[in-house]
Amino acid sequence: MRVPYSWLQDYLQADIEVERLCHLLTMGGLEVEEARDWTATDGEASDQILMTTVTPNRGDLLSMMGVARHAAALSGTDFVDPVTSFPEIDNPVTDVKKASRGPVTVEIADPVGCPRYSALLIDGVNVGPSPDWLRHRMEAAGIRSINNVVDCTNYVVWEMGQPLHAFDFRLLKDGHIIARRAEEKEKLLMLDGTWQTLGPEDVVIADPMGSVALAGIMGGTDTQVSETTSRVLLESAHFDPVAIRRTSLRLGVGTEASYRFERHVDPNLTLPALARAAELIMMTAGGQIAQATIDVKTRDFATQSLQLRPARCNSILGTDLDAAAMADLLRRLGFGVEEGELLTVEVPTFRPDVEREIDLVEEVAIVYGYENIELTVPGHLTSTGRLTEQQRLRRRAGELLRECGLYENLSFSMMDPSDLDQCCWPRDDVCCDFLALANPASSDLTAMRTTLLPGLLAAAARNARQRVTDVALYEIGTVFYPETEKSLPSERQHVAAVMTGNLLTADWSLPTEQGQVDFYYMKGIIEQLCQGLGVPELGFVRQKHSTFHPGKCAQVQLEGELIGLLGEIAAEVAEAYDLPDGACAFELDLDMLLERAVLYATYQPVARFPAAERDLAIIVPDNDEFASARLIEEIEQAAGEFLESVTPFDVYSDPQQIGAGRKSIAFRLVFRADDRTLTDAEVEAAMSAVHSYVEEEIGAEVRK
Amino acid sequence: MEDKLEQLRDEAVGAFQNAEDNEQLEQARVEYLGRHGRLREAMASIANLPEERRPTIGNLANRASREMEQVYQQRQQELAQQTAAQESGERIDVTLPGRASRVGRRHPLLATLDEMIEIFLGLGFTVAEGPEVENYYYSFEALNYPEFHPAMDEQMTFYIGDDALLRSQTSPVQIRVMEQQQPPVRIVAPGRCFRRDTVDATHCHTFYQLEGLLVDEGVTFADLKGTLEVFAREMFGPSCHMRFRPDFFPFTEPSAEIALTCIICGGEGCRACEQTGWMEVGGSGMVDPNVLAGVGYDTEKYTGFAFGVGVERLAMLRHGIDDIRLFYSGDMRFLAQL
Repeated sequence: MRVPYSWLQDYLQADIEVERLCHLLTMGGLEVEEARDWTATDGEASDQILMTTVTPNRGDLLSMMGVARHAAALSGTDFVDPVTSFPEIDNPVTDVKKASRGPVTVEIADPVGCPRYSALLIDGVNVGPSPDWLRHRMEAAGIRSINNVVDCTNYVVWEMGQPLHAFDFRLLKDGHIIARRAEEKEKLLMLDGTWQTLGPEDVVIADPMGSVALAGIMGGTDTQVSETTSRVLLESAHFDPVAIRRTSLRLGVGTEASYRFERHVDPNLTLPALARAAELIMMTAGGQIAQATIDVKTRDFATQSLQLRPARCNSILGTDLDAAAMADLLRRLGFGVEEGELLTVEVPTFRPDVEREIDLVEEVAIVYGYENIELTVPGHLTSTGRLTEQQRLRRRAGELLRECGLYENLSFSMMDPSDLDQCCWPRDDVCCDFLALANPASSDLTAMRTTLLPGLLAAAARNARQRVTDVALYEIGTVFYPETEKSLPSERQHVAAVMTGNLLTADWSLPTEQGQVDFYYMKGIIEQLCQGLGVPELGFVRQKHSTFHPGKCAQVQLEGELIGLLGEIAAEVAEAYDLPDGACAFELDLDMLLERAVLYATYQPVARFPAAERDLAIIVPDNDEFASARLIEEIEQAAGEFLESVTPFDVYSDPQQIGAGRKSIAFRLVFRADDRTLTDAEVEAAMSAVHSYVEEEIGAEVRK
Repeated sequence: MEDKLEQLRDEAVGAFQNAEDNEQLEQARVEYLGRHGRLREAMASIANLPEERRPTIGNLANRASREMEQVYQQRQQELAQQTAAQESGERIDVTLPGRASRVGRRHPLLATLDEMIEIFLGLGFTVAEGPEVENYYYSFEALNYPEFHPAMDEQMTFYIGDDALLRSQTSPVQIRVMEQQQPPVRIVAPGRCFRRDTVDATHCHTFYQLEGLLVDEGVTFADLKGTLEVFAREMFGPSCHMRFRPDFFPFTEPSAEIALTCIICGGEGCRACEQTGWMEVGGSGMVDPNVLAGVGYDTEKYTGFAFGVGVERLAMLRHGIDDIRLFYSGDMRFLAQL
């Protein structure tokens, strides 16, 4: 809110310098973002404007009086109340029956939405431009000057915080005001020129013909004050914050009035505000009060009495204040305090946010000053702080990937469902069943991601656009899958990576093609990750998946269960993202991986006796039946108890040398015994068993 | 005599070591170790000493001789190797770039978050986690938000359905933890949060927060101040402090906005801190008794404090990053620097 400094000074007994005032208010819970120099457009006035930000619980700070009262409390100076007094207002007609005899009559049909309605009729006003002092104050506070009557009502809104509305009384049917709920589909032409369609949720002010104002939000056009108005009916009412907020949200209409009512207005301000408005209107537009004020209340709005235990207050704040000091701090805020073993505190009605003892504790802290509370560190440690095993494993997973040369990427948790199309994701896949946002912030992020790959591919594409083609990114993040029976989705941690270009960023010694990322490099990273986490060996099975190259894609299995995908990105996807050729990626369910991970590996004794190594080269048909994993398994079976490992080291297919549709694959076999050095004869026996097994059982040709 | 021998040895060692080629080395050898060299000369003079001193000095002379011989041979070997290398042409361009397997880096935002977590682990906090898609109950109701309260406006919440929404702060984790355990509770909860904010250089709809919660007997607002002061100093050094000023959050009472001494100007006031000398980093306060009662805690016995600190701003300050969007760019040139 814009708070002109000179306006504020009207209510402070002692001058407080702008800079000190800003500091006091900011440290007292009303943030002053800046004090801005201001000069009126006609050059006839200047001031400094405090730009304040009011927290949603402090509706009382949405007025000059409220800010001044708080400043007075914080600085220890006195607050000057501007309220004037008129006999016609000081003795209002509160009896509805009596109120039904004058020219103005008021009826509350909705005591929930409108618990109090005060009104005052002023006759013989001359509507015209406002005097300079009033226009300047309007301009300084950022309010558009309309005419003297409307400006006076606005002046009071800003000064006291009580929203007012002025009707042209002539235009109100029978002078009869009804506060009620709108009928289904009731229409109202608002002051801003828009038609609103209302319903039974909305509180309206009506005359017997129909609604004339949307209560607490905006008046209607038909009854507004104009140049020809001479009888003005001032409305000063109290409306229910929730009702006003619901209507304001539903219609998307927010005004200075609704903003204040949503944040609570002092229900006992209706009459003082009328008195002040009457004084100002008669001063600037002439006229006189035509009838005793009407004040229809559906209930009393009494001050609340709370108790504060001084010891409790100290034990929460960590202070050592005595009861008298607390009482003094609360009195400065305008609270009534009766001292005793407990403090009995009368909370004025302008502070509806103070309802409990803990709220009083906060008030004590604010006036005492947060900065005056000492610094302590909470007592004895009952436990040490440590990451859980699961958390440490997740950290370890990230470390392993970084050690493999991947940089950590973050992408948004929201995705554009068309991202899945862009990477040609199969339509029937589980990832195509996603959660949609009800109120997305933009048209491209409308659903919760089900896979990390589109985000990583997009990151790789952004790099490619910047001509950065050596990309190595990983991400560990949450993906979301709808759960039919539950209100919340299932959230899983996935790990994914994408790589393009060269493995080493600046290797001048390798021919470029040798340093390119490929399927096996990515597979190696997965294997390193699993080894580092102590996860049992993974299985890789050929997979068809339209995001990946048809011949270079595998599903990754952990003990037979699918945990992810690995492959080279399909040509059409690479084209859609404008990625360099040969981009590779993988994505795994990290939660599943970590379930089988172990934080601490167990030491296996290192071998004490030397190994014997033999090579075996075989020629087999080049198809999935003769995949290397199967060949290794068969060799392991045939080679006997001394076989330690089988590793493929040379794979090639050359139609000229070994015939079309065949491949040559060489394995290195390592033999070892725990307790002695193996003899040549033992190793040869094992090798010849392997030879005959692969020839006879597999049908492989052994190369001599 | 002893001094003379020592000096002779030092001179000879120096001469051998400084010899740059075989020729210089040979010259030095002749001078010190040669048949008419200075060592022989010195040894010959031993005969002139009194008899009782001769054995001592003789030993000394022998040792000096051995040392000189050793250094001579070592240098001779070195020079031989140098020559061999030069002759076989085994010289490399030592200025070419080095070669190593690439090592990746932690994302700077998460590296900052890790550092924050480390500080609280040191203060005895453990790390709790919660879902990013939350229920209305944990997001608002259990946190003492009145229905239809303007405080909800500040949250700018993304909704998925009637009861599912993207959490706009990490505070729901407080409730989930307290439902599962009795005091003492001492946790931090790091994580992603979401608000319907327009993206620009300093705002993003996605951000990270570190939530903290401590509930025990006798926990005070002074403890909150002390704990966060420790955090500020550990994070940015002893001249960094934490400022507390009244604010409003439905789930804390009293509530405080927390701000760090501006680490760019050291609190003097600059553009980055809008001349205030302080940078707002989050919110904090004493856990509202309604929240504690909601999870079945005895509010007379236990009090607690909670805080939430934004991570982006700290990471940006730490690394001098001027645009929040870089965090989500995946730009290798950005990631490889930090």
